[in-house]
Amino acid sequence: MSLWAFYARNSQEVLGLVGQHLYLVAISTGAAIVIGVPLGILLTRRPAWRGPVLGVANVFQTVPSLALFGFLIPLPFIGGIGATTAIVALVLYALLPIIRNTYEGVAGVDPAVREAGRGMGMTDWQLLAQVELPLGFGVILAGVRVATVVSVGTATIAAAIGAGGLGVYIFRGVAVVDDTLILAGALPAALMALAADGLLGVAERRFAWRVK
Amino acid sequence: MSPHPLSPSPFGRGGTPGWPRWSLGLVALLLTGCAHRDRIVVGSKNFTESDLLGEIVAQQIERRTGLSVERRFHLGGTFVCHQAITAGQIDLYVEYTGTAYTAVLKHAPVADRDSVYHTVARDYAQRFGLAWVKPFGFNNTFAITVRHRDATRYGLSRISDLARLAPRWRAGFGYEFLERADGFRGLANVYGLRFASPPTAMDLGLTYRALAEGKVDVIAGNSTDGQIQALGLVVLEDDRHYFPPYEAAPVIRQAALTRHSGVAAALDQLAGRISDAEMRRLNALADVEHRDIASIARDWLRATVP
Repeated sequence: MSLWAFYARNSQEVLGLVGQHLYLVAISTGAAIVIGVPLGILLTRRPAWRGPVLGVANVFQTVPSLALFGFLIPLPFIGGIGATTAIVALVLYALLPIIRNTYEGVAGVDPAVREAGRGMGMTDWQLLAQVELPLGFGVILAGVRVATVVSVGTATIAAAIGAGGLGVYIFRGVAVVDDTLILAGALPAALMALAADGLLGVAERRFAWRVK
Repeated sequence: MSPHPLSPSPFGRGGTPGWPRWSLGLVALLLTGCAHRDRIVVGSKNFTESDLLGEIVAQQIERRTGLSVERRFHLGGTFVCHQAITAGQIDLYVEYTGTAYTAVLKHAPVADRDSVYHTVARDYAQRFGLAWVKPFGFNNTFAITVRHRDATRYGLSRISDLARLAPRWRAGFGYEFLERADGFRGLANVYGLRFASPPTAMDLGLTYRALAEGKVDVIAGNSTDGQIQALGLVVLEDDRHYFPPYEAAPVIRQAALTRHSGVAAALDQLAGRISDAEMRRLNALADVEHRDIASIARDWLRATVP
């Protein structure tokens, strides 16, 4: 069966899986931003924590997803089978680029600019909100962009823990050696990654233009 | 095709020792050029049980015939091994009758043990010049598995006992089981299983963990998996004989059998020696206790086929 015939016949199911996939990516990337950005900022205030925190985020990147799921299944609240476990894993995978870029973005602000702010009598919070975050925003957004694109690809593993998404077609296709099925899941996921990359790229450029 | 129900466990072990990648390519190149006159090349699929059986066969040939055996283990699924043996890249690997019957020969599944074996043996000889040796004795079929606690509490021993509980139970199955012609759909029909919600589709290796942790109530594992014993799970009997037989047996090139006269006798000594429980125990030694496959095979041969 050709790919188009497959889509025509299963359009409802495809849309459902695309929706689940978007849901997984949106929730997990959102949570990773909520956790990662403050953590990145904190690291600029507590440089000694930088090594350990980035080290831990690094380690999560290297844990294979199936092994991570295995650890998560017995845990209450964040574990079990289904979307929650998949989202926890996706958040852990998305943290590194967000923490790192937030740190680099804020720490990379020209010291002269920071000094000027202090000279004007800005408090630490004012400096952060009015100088460091606006100037570092482009770099932070680049981190979010990487995390989002990677999450779109990684979210296919959610199908291994019963959380749905486009990985369902990929897993089914691999199980029965059906290339059409594998493509049916991989192609929309790739398009989604390109779209996310394009949209966030536009946002990044808009922002760079505004800062100038 | 994938290796019947036996997908590699993510927690499994095995694989080729630390050869550089190019050396495998070089070996493959050399092999295509020359007929291996004084040695036998044994292959295996990419999961623990296949590696174990390959190692047992390899050591048995070494002990009994003095031939040198080259191991090409953890090759891939059924399709890769079948291609390799028909191309003469390997001489021998262990296959499952039901897998050969449905996946390679594309017959519709039937449940009769002997007729499957005989059809497979006849067709392989005629079409591929391959001989089926006598099976090891165990049947690695889909294992409909529940927690021990539930089995005692509800008096479960057969799959047909499940029908009355299904409406209140959750099932979790691997993708292969949900897709196959001899998988969930047929099972649900034959046994009248109507679960409250559609079964959760997940990775096969994770279903054991999900069952043991109480996240699902019934799964379809592989009957000889080491996890079943290790996690204290109970396999229900297929009392309506829904699943076709999956008996493991060495498949060998007829050319290699004729050239090396002692090999057939050596392999015959292994026939019927491994029961379901014994295979489960051997898999557990590798997957649960993480023992070395070569030493498991050596100990087993020394104890069983002295």
